[in-house]
Amino acid sequence: MPHSLTGTRIRQHRSRAGLSQTALARQAGISTSYLNLIEHNKRGIAGKILLSIARELGVPASSLTEEADSELTTSLLEAASTETAPSAETSVLAEFAGRFPGWAQLLASVYRQNRDQEAVIAALSDRLVHDPFLAESLHLMLSNITAIRSTAEILTSVEDIAAEQRTRFNAAIHDESKRLSDATQALIRYFDKEATQGAPNEAPDEVAESDVASMPLERFASTALASDFNPSALASEFRTNLHAVFRRLASLKNEGVDAPEMGLIITNAAGQTLHRHALPDFPLPRHGNACPLWPVFQGFSQPERPLQDLIELPGGTQFVTLTVALPRSEIAFGDSPNYQSAMLFLPSDQSPWSPVPQPARRVGISCRICPRENCAARSEETVL
Amino acid sequence: MSKHILIVEDEPNIIESLSFLLDRAGFTVSSEKNGAMAMERIRDLTPDLVILDVMLPNRSGFDVLRDIGELAEAPRVLMLTAKGQARDRQTAEEIGVTRFMTKPFANAEILATVQEMLT
Repeated sequence: MPHSLTGTRIRQHRSRAGLSQTALARQAGISTSYLNLIEHNKRGIAGKILLSIARELGVPASSLTEEADSELTTSLLEAASTETAPSAETSVLAEFAGRFPGWAQLLASVYRQNRDQEAVIAALSDRLVHDPFLAESLHLMLSNITAIRSTAEILTSVEDIAAEQRTRFNAAIHDESKRLSDATQALIRYFDKEATQGAPNEAPDEVAESDVASMPLERFASTALASDFNPSALASEFRTNLHAVFRRLASLKNEGVDAPEMGLIITNAAGQTLHRHALPDFPLPRHGNACPLWPVFQGFSQPERPLQDLIELPGGTQFVTLTVALPRSEIAFGDSPNYQSAMLFLPSDQSPWSPVPQPARRVGISCRICPRENCAARSEETVL
Repeated sequence: MSKHILIVEDEPNIIESLSFLLDRAGFTVSSEKNGAMAMERIRDLTPDLVILDVMLPNRSGFDVLRDIGELAEAPRVLMLTAKGQARDRQTAEEIGVTRFMTKPFANAEILATVQEMLT
């Protein structure tokens, strides 16, 4: 157990008050040598003497007693008992806390924060281990991989395979690959469910209101249908910019208009998501850790140039995307333009726009849940 | 006389590739997809080795393993699982599994293990 901190606190208060030991001892009615022992935590103190000293120092007696810092002491003791601090000098813990209260509070605070975060990580880890859906999905995926690996090994290492058998093996690889894709998609949807279900639109309300004001629903919907949802034509018709048109197009389906549902993401150059409208098969990470291969990020390299792309997610679903990066406000001389990039997207089989004359670019959702191998853009390991 | 191996596994494509491999290696191979039918097949066929998956329909591989342990002349068991967790391994070892292998495995790896277990 640590010694009481009371003596250390008395010494601190006495020093701050500019009193000598002799003076305080005299005022409190005790000997200087006894006060010296108290101040070095070698004698306990309570009752009348404590009250007397507190009165002479002009502080409440409770601020001198060890109860005042019991939480601090407990936290420091806990910190000292962890495996990472085997050589912490617990015998001078009271002295440390008394002489360096600020550092002691900081250490205790960091320790408590670390302890709480470890508890959260343990809870999440526990969930990963015991979650039945995850366990089933991983079992299924590993079984698919086992079948594909074993069959592929046979096909590449055994030469004298009967034609009928070879056909069955080829069919097995095709079948298992499809199942693996489906399982991967299901897992990705599962991971992103919380982020997409009921996720608030992060755009400020006044922006939505201004869009509604400049592009009234009925007129905008009829013009959009007549123009095959052509954003450039709509921007021209409603004298607004493409980002505003993108936002309005992405909201049409929810407002009851018979239009294809379009997803939308708007980010700044730091990758922060400013506006998001996810689609069931195209979830959008909420905290700026999206796939860097998305056209929305390519938009920053070609500001103000409208880009149309065809992308393919790991599950094989293809999306047509329209992207453009625009300055957030009017460009002024001497100022660097502050660009935001917006990407409007929808499944390629529902696209009202002309087909993109290029092969689909293979992208992911977020590195952490992306199964793509040998990706030059990968920034962190996948949990898959 | 060739050694007899029973594969108890619910994934038909894994059965197909394993059967092909083991058959080429000179073993007699049978298979069963249903966990509930596994013991019946084991009693009927009296295989020398059972390749047993953990997650089976109707009855888990661990349940089957417990029953195998009660047979008068129990075959050796190579337990396969997609879950490489220590908990599974511990459970299998407590019941008394002969060997344990985690999916996905290489063909050479499982073939070598089977040959080692049957010699």
